[in-house]
Amino acid sequence: MKKKDREEIESWIKGDETGGEMLKRVWRVRPFILPPPLHRVPLRVGNVLELVGPSPSAKTQILIQTAITCILPKHWNGIHYGGLDHLVLFIDLDSRFDITRFSHLLLHRIMEPYGEDSGDYDKSLFDLCMTRFLYVRCSDSFQFLQTLKTLNWRLDKEKEAHGVSVHLLLIDSIGAFHWMDRASMLLPLKENSRKKLFLQSVSEAVVQDIKKLLHVHPMLVIATKSVIFWNKQSSASVDVKGSFMKNSWEERSSRNATRNGQHVEYREYMPSVWQSFVTHRILIRSSDDHSVTSYCQNSSFYLLEWLLPRLSFSDKIVVKDAGVFVDS
Amino acid sequence: MAPLNSLEKEYPLIDSNFQTFCASHSIYSVEDFLLHDLDALFTSAANHSTSHRLKQGIHQLLSIVDVLHPPLLNGLQLLQDSKRNKHVLSTGSERVDEFLGGGLREGQLTELVGPSSSGKTQVCSMSASTAAKHKGSVIYLDTSNSFSPQRIAHFVGQSSDYVSGNQADHRLLQNILDRIICYPVFDVYQMFDLLRQLEINFRSEIVKSDRHVQLLIVDSISSLITPILRGSGPQGHALMISVGFLLKKLAHEHNIAVLVTNHVVGGEDGNSKPALGESWKSVPHVRLLLSRECGSNVCNISIIKHPAMASGRTATSSRLFD
Repeated sequence: MKKKDREEIESWIKGDETGGEMLKRVWRVRPFILPPPLHRVPLRVGNVLELVGPSPSAKTQILIQTAITCILPKHWNGIHYGGLDHLVLFIDLDSRFDITRFSHLLLHRIMEPYGEDSGDYDKSLFDLCMTRFLYVRCSDSFQFLQTLKTLNWRLDKEKEAHGVSVHLLLIDSIGAFHWMDRASMLLPLKENSRKKLFLQSVSEAVVQDIKKLLHVHPMLVIATKSVIFWNKQSSASVDVKGSFMKNSWEERSSRNATRNGQHVEYREYMPSVWQSFVTHRILIRSSDDHSVTSYCQNSSFYLLEWLLPRLSFSDKIVVKDAGVFVDS
Repeated sequence: MAPLNSLEKEYPLIDSNFQTFCASHSIYSVEDFLLHDLDALFTSAANHSTSHRLKQGIHQLLSIVDVLHPPLLNGLQLLQDSKRNKHVLSTGSERVDEFLGGGLREGQLTELVGPSSSGKTQVCSMSASTAAKHKGSVIYLDTSNSFSPQRIAHFVGQSSDYVSGNQADHRLLQNILDRIICYPVFDVYQMFDLLRQLEINFRSEIVKSDRHVQLLIVDSISSLITPILRGSGPQGHALMISVGFLLKKLAHEHNIAVLVTNHVVGGEDGNSKPALGESWKSVPHVRLLLSRECGSNVCNISIIKHPAMASGRTATSSRLFD
């Protein structure tokens, strides 16, 4: 055996990290369970979870709740919050993010352990959490790409300033520029050398840039996607909310039939490069027996179903003013 | 964004040699650069005789992009901006305000959906007169000749003492009406021109705060957009989504509450649903459904979508707009 190889093997056997370092490294890539309603499948950094659903179906709300779990510390002054103690990056492609809503929900979570009536709360914890929430708003695909291309250094800077890394990349919503990009591919191309459609090139660049970003900053990606096309035959049945039992039964059975044949009611519109980038997928749709159970006026019900990996059951979720809950 | 050869003057690193290198990767503009894989570009540059200078050129382009990209803010900065600049405007109806948790939010796009004579234009006129009464300027894009100054004057007079008819009160009413600027708009391109012009005006008038535009109304936006959605091409939808982004940009950057109205169409199941389809659904922040029961004065208002409230909440009142 050559001397060089020998040295290499010896150094490999000797190991180059302490137990503490190793634990840190292993913990980072260990799968973790997000709070409900995303609790059914363990996720880890590097995964790409897509939330598909019509508008409104509480997709952004789920993102906000997950973000809050991520920025909260595990413990604070002896109170257990069970947070992940990390930074969050929210890329807003819909230009619809409402910070007051976010701060209300965060405040609610911080005050929860104190009980309903105690008016004061730990302002420093609130401020700490708010600074851990990073936000970018993009209003076209080029701004999105500009952001992704330069995010690397920005996140380094934030990581240094906060002492913790970004753990979660939220994108709301990934198909926001679909129509604009689709129309611009019809503009006359300057050179024949550009062979691909614009929509496709954008998606490829986006996926490539996110992949590179994940390489340097391992994060869990959660992206929402609005349903903008329904399959023709089922589009009508989606709007019917169980007005007749017979009808809704027929509807459900026919829908199950199509689902077994690997068809879902919504039509995919993102280019294949994005679709193969997605590792986990959840479909949220309006609940069939909505009218039967909605005794409470200020809430709406949806069904949350795992498509990737496919789970045999779906969770019923309730959206109230205070957030999204799993209905048991 | 700029083609590369226009950047040469300002950035000497982007010389003709660099441009030829980029052209070999079919990069002619900063946009093309954005769509390209950076690592592949660096690798390719390394094989060149002038690799050092080419790499400097790529870094130069990256720093140009770095200046352009939207800012990264944290939650506290966002909240500060929201508290300082994004106020809540009253719609002029206590019940509607209460229902909305205060009223119309600056920075947000609120949509009123409803069949004809369900009270959409009424809410628009009421909101306009209320904002103008509180010294805010209002821009009213009227697409169907439904704007009526008499109605505004009526709302202004109704809730205050302006009705007495003497000279001073008349001048006050005049001032309020002066703050509402109505533009008749009959197609979507005209609206684009107008919105872009407004954007330029807002930028140049940023110091003159006494005539701050607080409210932008488009009554009705669906009558402009529906005609362009016909046909199979994507251009109609692209225009619709672009209008949405432009309105939201104006709302956010210049702290304006945007109020638009939309009509309803018959769905395939016989129930009526909001016009403009699935893609439009993700444009507004708030969607409200207005309806009026046949032959009565009872008005219903319900939430289709709201960032802070569950959908389905409903208020019914015979005096919703009094």
